[in-house]
Amino acid sequence: MTVQLSAEETTLLIDSLRRLLEDGWPVEGGLERAEDVTAIGQLSSALHELGLAYLGAAEGPGLAEALLIFEELGRAAAPAPLAGALIANLLLDGSDDPKVRAFVEEVQAGQAVPALALGAFDGDRFAGSAAYAPDRLTASLKFVEDVAAATHILVFVSEPSGLAIMPVDAQGVAIVADPGLAVPALSAVDIAAPPLLWQSLSEAKLADAAQAVRLLALARAVGAAQRGFDLALDHAKVRRQFGHVIGEFQAIQHKLVNCFSQLDGAKLLLSSAGAAHDRGDEAWRVLTDAALAFSGPALRQVALEVHHTLGAIGYAEEHEAPRHFRRIHADLLRFGGTARARAGLADYLLRPAV
Amino acid sequence: MSKLPSHDLDETVIAFRQAIRAWLAEHWTDADREANRRRPLRDRRWNPEFSRKMGEAGWLGLDWPKQYGGQARSPGEQLAFIEELEFAEAPTDAHMTAETIIGPAIINFGSDEQKSTFLPALLKGQRPFALHYSEPEAGSDLASLRTAARRDGDDWIISGQKLWSTYGDRAAYAILAARTDPAARPKHAGISVFLMPLDTPGITIRPSMAMYGRTFSATFYDDVRVPGSALLGPENGGWKVITSALAAERVMIGNTVAHLQHIFSKIVSHVRDLGDGPAALRHDPLIRDRIGALGADLEAARQFTLRNANLVQSGHVPIYEAAMSKVFVGELQERLGEAALDILGSGGLLSDEAPSAPLGEMEQELRHSLMGVLGGGTSEIQRNIIALRGLGLPRMSS
Repeated sequence: MTVQLSAEETTLLIDSLRRLLEDGWPVEGGLERAEDVTAIGQLSSALHELGLAYLGAAEGPGLAEALLIFEELGRAAAPAPLAGALIANLLLDGSDDPKVRAFVEEVQAGQAVPALALGAFDGDRFAGSAAYAPDRLTASLKFVEDVAAATHILVFVSEPSGLAIMPVDAQGVAIVADPGLAVPALSAVDIAAPPLLWQSLSEAKLADAAQAVRLLALARAVGAAQRGFDLALDHAKVRRQFGHVIGEFQAIQHKLVNCFSQLDGAKLLLSSAGAAHDRGDEAWRVLTDAALAFSGPALRQVALEVHHTLGAIGYAEEHEAPRHFRRIHADLLRFGGTARARAGLADYLLRPAV
Repeated sequence: MSKLPSHDLDETVIAFRQAIRAWLAEHWTDADREANRRRPLRDRRWNPEFSRKMGEAGWLGLDWPKQYGGQARSPGEQLAFIEELEFAEAPTDAHMTAETIIGPAIINFGSDEQKSTFLPALLKGQRPFALHYSEPEAGSDLASLRTAARRDGDDWIISGQKLWSTYGDRAAYAILAARTDPAARPKHAGISVFLMPLDTPGITIRPSMAMYGRTFSATFYDDVRVPGSALLGPENGGWKVITSALAAERVMIGNTVAHLQHIFSKIVSHVRDLGDGPAALRHDPLIRDRIGALGADLEAARQFTLRNANLVQSGHVPIYEAAMSKVFVGELQERLGEAALDILGSGGLLSDEAPSAPLGEMEQELRHSLMGVLGGGTSEIQRNIIALRGLGLPRMSS
């Protein structure tokens, strides 16, 4: 059971994080920095000092707070490898195995930085899979995030179901960067080696952890979309064309209003799913699918409209907007994206009548 | 019925939901519902007798302050209440406008006499009200209305024409917006609001059939004399009454969300239960994708409604938030109507009285859905409100 922070404590935490990111991850040079492993490592250390490696731990903040933190990371386009810590805490904190518990303590102390490979639990049919036999992990995994700055990979294993903990620099681990829209790049990971540690876990627990990861990605996309929208709104209030500030034109106003509504809906759904998770409401899974199914198309449209409003000014990579465009798409397309979420909702709604 | 998860978070809400459900089971029975379904569409939601029954049982004024006979129920309880009424297909239109728009307007702007005259009657479901705002030249641009009210001693003499008044031919009263200062600038500064008994001499009501299968009316005021006590709020201070009432109407969108949930449940249950084997409709990936998308939108609509209800509860008048909800829900209503026809195919074209209709009322839902976008201020006007009030964007300069 995680600790529920008060509204004041949450505000304090978010304010501290925002200040830290403003100083430690400024807008200037952000895109290049996102590919700099040393810079990401420094960011990671700073976040650990703020206590964020305790997210999801028995005595740490819950998923609702984690979502607010990921929104901030999205706003700052800061690729902090925090999702692995949250999942390590959620799945492994309280393990019967003292070695696994010791690993969790390393994560919480910032000495171990885990990346996540969800394999068969990813939701994307091409994300690969992993199998575990005594003393051997065999895995072919795609679309793995945070590997460059990580010390370990938490591999979701389907045969049998459990979590394998694999050092990134172990023999038998091959990591290849797959550059694309996401910055930093996703990676392909092949493993044929004994894992450092193995924790047997039910499929349901792993599926829930994957669902939590989807919410984290959505939160980051919400933060990125909000920041992109703020830039577009500010621009519309000062940019003059045809003798008018462009924000006076209904064509621009209605475009921005639509974005505002889509963002608002996404935030309400995100928060509702996170709160349901933390109060132990089983509906959190279907509410998560609702949040993902709504936000996928909604926030991608926001990303487009931000650029429509900014025009060519926002089209330069050195401008802040493109990194948010990348982030929004990269986060909303992954883990099965909108199609998986809609299918999940359809399964729920079309389940046999009791 | 296939439904999205409940948002009842505490025992009070759950108990309240059970209480209205139990009352409905006794006073709006399955037989009543079946009989109502056999009535013409135009009559199904209008039932003054049932409204009075609800009033006598104390089910009206749930969100009103206790000092005015209300119950100050929480947003969660209010939403549970309207969901149960919608799921039971209970007819609520005969009291809805009076309870949710007129009552709060009188509480906020009425004289002591108006409060003591109207509020108890509204709580009993005994004063069906219509809205007399729009005119031939004043629809979206409401501040341009021309219906005039001039003083004659202590009385007012009213002349003009009102349009598109839902249930205008059945209501006993109307809330009327009229120009009391033709010279006032800006235009909205010269408008006042009146509580009009519709049997007053000089009022002529002409109903016509709207596309959604119910009537709306044109109303002619020919030198209609009303006493000074009919004025609601200050003279020339009607704009605030109107905008507050319209905001309340937009908050009332929760009723539409509950209605959409009911319609969506019907569609999903139909898909779920139709046919067997791999070719059954429920396995069709396109239909499943459509259902998933609509389910997510509906959940977003519920969240907008909950947020607005919470804002009202905390004493905040949700202007742009209510407009946002109104746009989203109205346009969702259209999408749901269109989706119902896509899912049902040609069968969706059939009215519920058609013997071959696979699922009644769906084509009527589509026709009705336009009202969600047009009524109470079009989506375009709502977007203007959100742009100015929510985003702080500038008005067009000359």
